[in-house]
Amino acid sequence: MVEQLDSLALEFKEKIKNLKGEAEVLNLKSEFLGKKGKVSEILKGLRNCTPEERKVVGPKANKLKDDIGDLVSLKLQEFELVQINQKLEENKIDLNNRESFWFNKNKSGGIHPRSMIQREIEDVFLSMGFEVLDGPHIEDEFHNFEALNIPGDHPARDMQDTFWFNDPDSPEGKKHLLRTHTSTIQVRGMRERTPPFRFIAPGTVFRCERTDASHEMVFNQLEGMMVGENISVGNLIYFMKTLLKEIFKRDTEVRLRPGFFPFVEPGFELDIQCLICSGKGCSVCKKTGWVELLPCGIVHPNVLKSGGIDPEKYNGFAFGLGLDRLVMMRYGIDDIRHLNSGDLRFNTQFSAF
Amino acid sequence: MLISLDWIREFSPIDMELPPDELALKLTMGTAEVEGVETINMFWKEVKTVEVTHIEPHPEADKLNLVSFKLNDNESFRVVCGASNVRLGMKTIFAPIGTTLPIGFTLEPKKIRGILSEGMLCSEEELGLADKSPGIMDLPETTPVGVDLLTLWDKKEDIIFDIDNKSLTHRPDLWGHFGMAREFSALYEAPLNSPFSEEWTKNLEGLFNNEKSPMGVNVEADSSCLAYFGLSLDNVLVTDSPQWIKDRLLAVGLRPINNIVDISNYVMLELGMPLHIFDREEIEGDSVNIKCLDKNLSFTTLDEIDRDLVAGDTVICDANKPLVLAGIMGGLNSGVTEKTTKLFIEVANWKAAEVRKTSTRLGLRTDSLMRYEKTLDSQLCYRTLLRTLELIKQLCPGASVVGKVEYDGQNLEDIKPLVINTSVFEITKTLGKEISTHKIIDILERLDFKVTKGDESLEVTVPSYRSTKDIECQADIVEEVGRVIGYDNITPVGPLLDVTPVRLNPLHIIKRKAQDFLSQHSHAFEVTSYPMVGKSLLNKCQWPNNLESLKLVNSLSVEQDRMRDSLIPSFLEVTALNAKTYDDFRFFELGRTYHHNEKNFSDEKVVLGVAFYSRKSDPTLDLLNHIERLGNFLNIPMDITDSHPKFKNNLVEESWVGVHPFEFKNLRIMGKMDGVVFGIHPLILKNFKIKGNLAIGLIDLTQFEKRSIKDKLSYSPLSKFPSSRFDYTVCLDENQSVADIFNVLNKLKIKAEVRHKIVDIYTPGKTDCFVTMGTFLSDPEKTLEGDFIKECEEKIIFALEKASIYLKKG
Repeated sequence: MVEQLDSLALEFKEKIKNLKGEAEVLNLKSEFLGKKGKVSEILKGLRNCTPEERKVVGPKANKLKDDIGDLVSLKLQEFELVQINQKLEENKIDLNNRESFWFNKNKSGGIHPRSMIQREIEDVFLSMGFEVLDGPHIEDEFHNFEALNIPGDHPARDMQDTFWFNDPDSPEGKKHLLRTHTSTIQVRGMRERTPPFRFIAPGTVFRCERTDASHEMVFNQLEGMMVGENISVGNLIYFMKTLLKEIFKRDTEVRLRPGFFPFVEPGFELDIQCLICSGKGCSVCKKTGWVELLPCGIVHPNVLKSGGIDPEKYNGFAFGLGLDRLVMMRYGIDDIRHLNSGDLRFNTQFSAF
Repeated sequence: MLISLDWIREFSPIDMELPPDELALKLTMGTAEVEGVETINMFWKEVKTVEVTHIEPHPEADKLNLVSFKLNDNESFRVVCGASNVRLGMKTIFAPIGTTLPIGFTLEPKKIRGILSEGMLCSEEELGLADKSPGIMDLPETTPVGVDLLTLWDKKEDIIFDIDNKSLTHRPDLWGHFGMAREFSALYEAPLNSPFSEEWTKNLEGLFNNEKSPMGVNVEADSSCLAYFGLSLDNVLVTDSPQWIKDRLLAVGLRPINNIVDISNYVMLELGMPLHIFDREEIEGDSVNIKCLDKNLSFTTLDEIDRDLVAGDTVICDANKPLVLAGIMGGLNSGVTEKTTKLFIEVANWKAAEVRKTSTRLGLRTDSLMRYEKTLDSQLCYRTLLRTLELIKQLCPGASVVGKVEYDGQNLEDIKPLVINTSVFEITKTLGKEISTHKIIDILERLDFKVTKGDESLEVTVPSYRSTKDIECQADIVEEVGRVIGYDNITPVGPLLDVTPVRLNPLHIIKRKAQDFLSQHSHAFEVTSYPMVGKSLLNKCQWPNNLESLKLVNSLSVEQDRMRDSLIPSFLEVTALNAKTYDDFRFFELGRTYHHNEKNFSDEKVVLGVAFYSRKSDPTLDLLNHIERLGNFLNIPMDITDSHPKFKNNLVEESWVGVHPFEFKNLRIMGKMDGVVFGIHPLILKNFKIKGNLAIGLIDLTQFEKRSIKDKLSYSPLSKFPSSRFDYTVCLDENQSVADIFNVLNKLKIKAEVRHKIVDIYTPGKTDCFVTMGTFLSDPEKTLEGDFIKECEEKIIFALEKASIYLKKG
């Protein structure tokens, strides 16, 4: 009996292979499993079997029924698949007709490249516990100069060409101007806080300078300040190296040399090794191998005093970074004027997707 | 400023063989930025003396000769020469092929009319020695042959550093070679040899005599003069300077004039203190008076330009007229000429701020002014005067002092040296580097500071020429030590800090979220435009405010001479620019606007502006939808309302002609009209030659600087009971809008949770408009009964009909 069942299984497999159509399959199924089907016929002989034989034949027969059922559903799905595919072919779409191939259909968008870099830097400093501040663009002489240790007759006032307002009513020393650096935010930041604190201040600044490919009258800086009890030049270098490593995604060679800025003492110029020529000397770095990137230093005691901080107890460091310059270096932008042009041919190159 | 290493070496033995780049780097890293370094006089090694041995005419040219000569026993050359003064036996100068002449021209192998010239015989012009010369150089008969000119003329090779003046803003002491030599000596730990000893002073004072000085000095107290030294000399012979002085001046970019003028320049470049030498016979009277002008007058400076002086400018006058504009430039009338024999030497010091003010007003910056404006030390005047006397005696041995030094001004002995108390602990703590006491004292002493060591402390006496402005406090002493040690030798180390959480402020968070939403969801690009605008732009907009109250006095152009009070004019400009390139675009800006205010002068707003432009379709509704979604995304509570008769919009003047008559919505934020979405009127677009449609949305974000936004999201349990929906279609006439339907529906009181939404709008003709509405009813506690639903339907339809909104028939 077992042999009979095995041969039935082989027979079914053989027969179902060549069937063409749902009806044929269903007929075959009833030929085998129907009440008078081949399997039932064989199982009729079961009553003559010994209990031992039954234990073998019973499960065998059930398995055969299951196998036949599975084969039938598989075969039926095969036919259905063909039918559906025919319909799909009738309604097929062309996946090559993507919007990116179209004129005026490519709806992308994006933030300003300066915003991208600014965010990156903000996030680096946020992760190191710095707040992010800004202040007004229209300032007075006190916040832009005096409070930063740049008195009225200081030659350093010439270093920064200032836009002045028509302001006959304000007293001398309080005349209004467009801030020439983000350092004004240092003063405001200090006055609103008690040490220890640390913050950065990205913002727009203004210089009364003829514009050309590398000079703008409206550009962006990022100021940083940290005040505490034992801040050292070593700490300053640490933060600057960390920042640059994060920005340029690699260890950047930096050098710190003396630089004069009235609001810091000692003051430094931080140079980075030219990224274009890796320090070999090229036109970008004027053959020196180094690019001047950010002025920094230990906050001058007079500046701490104007911020209401006791310079005997606290000290700190400050730095300034040309954001626009950094953006230009990162993306190889040849003309600073593109940044404020509003020309979407420029902005679309920085689309987010 | 140019600095000569050869000159430095007169005071400190810096190794000439060190690579120039290394010297420049050392100076950059320790003192001041070197912008360029150049080796000079190498050229003179390449050109040599020769004697002409043979001349024959060029076979192909009338005016050219073939000239042969011997350089030495083994080498002879033949060149093509066009000079008419060439002759047999002439001693002249030969530049071989490959030489780069001082005029910037490199000799290359070249045939001239078919014959190869092996170099060139040089004229003074070609050697850069004269502006013009008639022929090749004709050297004396006695000149040896085959000698290079460096040797023949006793020139020196030199290294010239070009130092960035900006990096010397605070260092008046570095505006002369002696001061620079002190820096080199500190950086290289080399000795500094000062010739200006007490003995030197005594020797020169020995030249003074008891005659009455022919020229007295009188300083008026309100002038800008701090100190004024004068000395008279007779029997001076004005001639050319000796070559060594000329060479030094030329090396640092100054043109030699005559021995006396050259000496005054030489001393200034050496000691950093300017001086002025008068032809004494041009001074009327027997004294010079230093005073403030009491009235405006015109004064011709020695560059032959008339300058308008004003009352208060300090001048040096004789009995009748001004002679010198103090600290800036001499007059045309009193300078030294070839005929001068009697001199009056002035070495003076001036108040930096005052001479700077005059110079800025006149737009006249001179070598002298650049030094005075840095605040010089009056105590250096006397040494400068003696050095000048020393050089005059050296160059004109016949010159004689008449009388002695005359002085007026502050009492120099009253100037007390600045003493700063510091300690090794403070210095090393601030630098973050261990440095030995011995090393610190050594550095300071090399820089001419006197150091007295206490138990813990250091008492540092600052040289007078450093304390005029630069050195004031301990931090300045830290810098002196730090820069000589080299900041690169300090190890970076993270500070020990308290851990405190930080967050961006609410405004900053909103800005970032708005950037993300508008770029990624609205497909807009962020731009930044100029915060300054001009009259012509405002006119083009027919802008209601002229913005005169926030006008700049020194704007670079009339197109950008005042601060904007709105982003709208800038947006119109940006749109006009881009409409030339694109058919559809969207952009946004997070910008500032500026508003004049009597009390604080000005207020600033942080405004988010969004613009949608489309050539073919009207983008206003689209923009409004995006702004509404943005408001939800930012969690800004925002009501969209129509123009209100009383509460006007804060961001755009509603009566402005640029506001579209039918496309305007207020965004009411926290009860204030701090936002707007509207279409721009085609008339204004036409002014900008913009074809198409532009919609602008503005939101004032200023208030979020201080106020954080609450998270509005909330959860309610999912209903266990099914909700019911019924749809109905109403017909609107041309005077009705969907807002009328909602006005009715929202007033109804129904005892269940209810939402009304538009399902479809169908507009078959011009006038009729069919709106299919869906009303969704649910109760969290129970399944709604059929009767209740029926009741609601009737209530709704009744209410609508009362408002003349009828169900569609059929």
